Order: sequence, then structure tokens, then C-alpha cells
Amino acid sequence: MNRFEDELRNALQRERPPEGFAARVLARAAAEPKPAGAWDRLKDWFRMPVVARAALAGALCLLVVAGVQYQQRQRLERIRGEAAKQQLLLALRVTGSNLRAVHDKVRELSASYSDAQ
Amino acid sequence: MNGPALAIPVPAQRESQMVVAAEAQGEFAALVHEHQAMVYSIALHYLRSRESAEEVAQEVFLQLYRQQQRFAGPAHVAAWLRRVTCNRAIDYVRHRRFEPQVSLADCPEPAVVAAQESAGSDPMLRERLRQMVGSLPEKARAVVILRYQEDLDPEEIARTLEMPVRTVKSHLQRSLALLRQKLGRLLGEDAV
Repeated sequence: MNRFEDELRNALQRERPPEGFAARVLARAAAEPKPAGAWDRLKDWFRMPVVARAALAGALCLLVVAGVQYQQRQRLERIRGEAAKQQLLLALRVTGSNLRAVHDKVRELSASYSDAQ
Repeated sequence: MNGPALAIPVPAQRESQMVVAAEAQGEFAALVHEHQAMVYSIALHYLRSRESAEEVAQEVFLQLYRQQQRFAGPAHVAAWLRRVTCNRAIDYVRHRRFEPQVSLADCPEPAVVAAQESAGSDPMLRERLRQMVGSLPEKARAVVILRYQEDLDPEEIARTLEMPVRTVKSHLQRSLALLRQKLGRLLGEDAV
């Protein structure tokens, strides 16, 4: 630490606020509306007009229904995809066995042809 | 003749709410008393006006009161107050095209000057330094105040002002060089 930094530290020492500062802050805080707690928010819900409550409940119901429908659609898509995959695998298996049979037949014919020669 | 005192019954739930509110007020008052010098001084060194510093400091404490934050510990409260004070002081300057004014109240009392002189520090030099710090660019000013008023290290300043540590260090280096240069010009090279 050098002398210049010591001077800076001296110059920027904390100062006491003016007389009555804390009292003025506390007075302003006391005049503020109290922050709402969980109980107050619950009471506010029951204080809401019936129409607003019904609209909010309706919106929530719609949200739930839309969510459930979305989930069902996703599930259906998954099932369809799985079925298509199984079909493709079966088709590949059938094609493979057919190819193997054709291959065996060709080898058999080529062997009998070379024997005849 | 005085009749029996009228006792107004208070429901139990309302009573418990009143107790909770009183406790919250008590906690808040303790926080104001503990941190008022820190918050006020950051604002004062930043804004160089006692009126503006008080305005900003009051707003910071009211924000604390409104948010009713739950803090992990005393260090967390202090860090939150430092951050909010710096941000509010910066906003104050930006939004009000603020120019620091030196009022009569800013001039130290003769008794205070005598005490400072006896403590071995030059009050004129201190005042000049405060003025020069007040003329630094806004972020650099906050960095210097947090470093030399609050004695925070660059990592803590970086967390408070939400900027990289490298930026804090570069602000500090450039500000110190600038302040030294200005003071050197003012007092003559051999005075610093």
C-alpha cells in the first residue's frame, strides 16, 4: 500500500449521515403500505369479484384441458411411430430371408451348371 | 370520575399479525442503524451532494423494506445494500443529468478541520481527492469508492457491480493513474 492509496482511503472514509436520517427513513417506511403476505393474498382472492374469479378459474381449466390433450396427442404419436418401426423391421426381415433363398438357388444352379460342363 | 378503561378486544389472528409487523419494523430499524453510514457515504462520495445522497440512501432503505428480503446473513445484507446503492447512484446521475453542487453544508466546521489537521491529514487534500473521485467516469467511480471506502478486494467489487474481475482491475489501475496525474498537476510532482 503506498501513500497515495492511504490518502485516498482517508479521503473516502465513511461519514455519519445527517441528524435524524434513520428516523426519517423509519417514518417513510411506516407510511408505506404493508407488503402482502401469503394470508393477505389468499384473502385478496376471495375479495375478487365473482366474474373475475370465474374467468380466472375458467382460464385455469382451459390450460389444464389443453395440457392433457397435448399429452395424449404426444402419446398417440409415440405409439404410431413404434408401430411403423415394427412394420419396417418385419419388412426388412422378410426381404432378407427372400434374398437369402434367391442367393442359395443361384449358387445351386451355378454348381449344377459347372458339373454339367 | 373516571370509569373503567375501555378495552377493545383484538382478535387473536390480528394480534399475531401486529406482533409480526412490530418485529419486522424492529429488524428493519436495526438494519437502518447498522448500515446507514455505509449507504449514505457511498451515495455521498458518488454524488458529492448531501441532499442527493440522503435522497438516494433513503430510497435504498425503502427498497429493502418493500422487498422484505430474506437474507442468508449480515454479509449478504451489506452486499445487497452496496450493490443497490451503487446502482441507484448511477441511475440518479443518468436520469437527472445530475451535476454535483457544493453547498454550505458540505464545508467542514472549523472544529472538524482542526481535529482533522491534528490527526495528521491535510483536509484540503482530502477534499480535492473526493472532488477528483467524484469526477471519474460512473463505473470507475463506483469501483474506487468500493475499493477505498469499503475496503473490498477486486473479486468482491466484481460481484457487487456484476462485472468481470479484469474490468474491475483495469478500472482501478486507470483511475489511480488518472487521480495521481491530476493531483500531481495540482500540487506539483514532488507533492505526491
